Amino acid sequence: MNIDDWKSQIKRGTLEFCILLLIKQESSYGYEIISTLDKYPIIAAKENTIYPLLRRLLKEGYISSSWREGTEGLPPRKYYSLTDNGEEYLAAMSVEWENLLNAINEIKGE
Amino acid sequence: MIMEKELNDYLENMEKYLKPIPVSERIDIINEIKSEMQELQRNGVTTEAIIDRLGNPKDLAKAYLGDLISKESGFSWNRFLMACAFYSLVGFSGMVVIPCLGVIAPTFIVCGIAAPILGAVKLIDYIFTLNIPYVENIGIFLGGIVEFNPIVEFIISLIVGILIYWAGRGAWKLLVLYCKKISKTASKLSI
Repeated sequence: MNIDDWKSQIKRGTLEFCILLLIKQESSYGYEIISTLDKYPIIAAKENTIYPLLRRLLKEGYISSSWREGTEGLPPRKYYSLTDNGEEYLAAMSVEWENLLNAINEIKGE
Repeated sequence: MIMEKELNDYLENMEKYLKPIPVSERIDIINEIKSEMQELQRNGVTTEAIIDRLGNPKDLAKAYLGDLISKESGFSWNRFLMACAFYSLVGFSGMVVIPCLGVIAPTFIVCGIAAPILGAVKLIDYIFTLNIPYVENIGIFLGGIVEFNPIVEFIISLIVGILIYWAGRGAWKLLVLYCKKISKTASKLSI
């Protein structure tokens, strides 16, 4: 039984969704996003996954970024926020996610 | 905040592997990683633990590049045909537009400036009777049918000069506009 392989596939398919959901809640920066995801082993990911993913979402126009100067010993942080395009994308993803959950529930017979 | 040598080395190393990415983006990537390093330092994470967490600088850099490669190698017929159409059009129009405007713009500008200056030289020669050599070759010649007074010639050369100068400037602006438009379209098509 190789559950790890399946788990990594789930992670790959849902990480983008989770990051956009996080950013929608509140503008956030890379380290904070990684730390939040870290609380949930199923979607926890390292820097070498999250940063390139953020960069791709940025290039595709789903999120925007802005540097905020650090005060009182805090380093400057690059904050990401959801764009209108991102909102739309996220809404469409949410619909599909609901479809998936409904399908699974129905097949399970619940 | 003090950056330890190991962390600076890490960033420099990473930057080396990010070479295929444009400078401005590269700096942004490095700054973002640097920001996380400082964040971790502030939380009391040791230098070794930070480096351990981020992994090999080469691998981290490659993760960014991976995205770049997979995006650019994506081949589509649509994009290919668009590129063909674009370059055919640019090639043909460029063959005519660029050399024409490129020749017209500077010569018209130079002539536009030269005409009134020469007219002025003749006018000064006429007023002060200086007998400057070769001045008899300057003037408006209509095959000997009409001969103008140097004052009239100067006024005509001034008007014509201004008109030619503006035409030259116009041609130059068109040329710049044309080139800008092409490079903008090319980058939009990302070809």
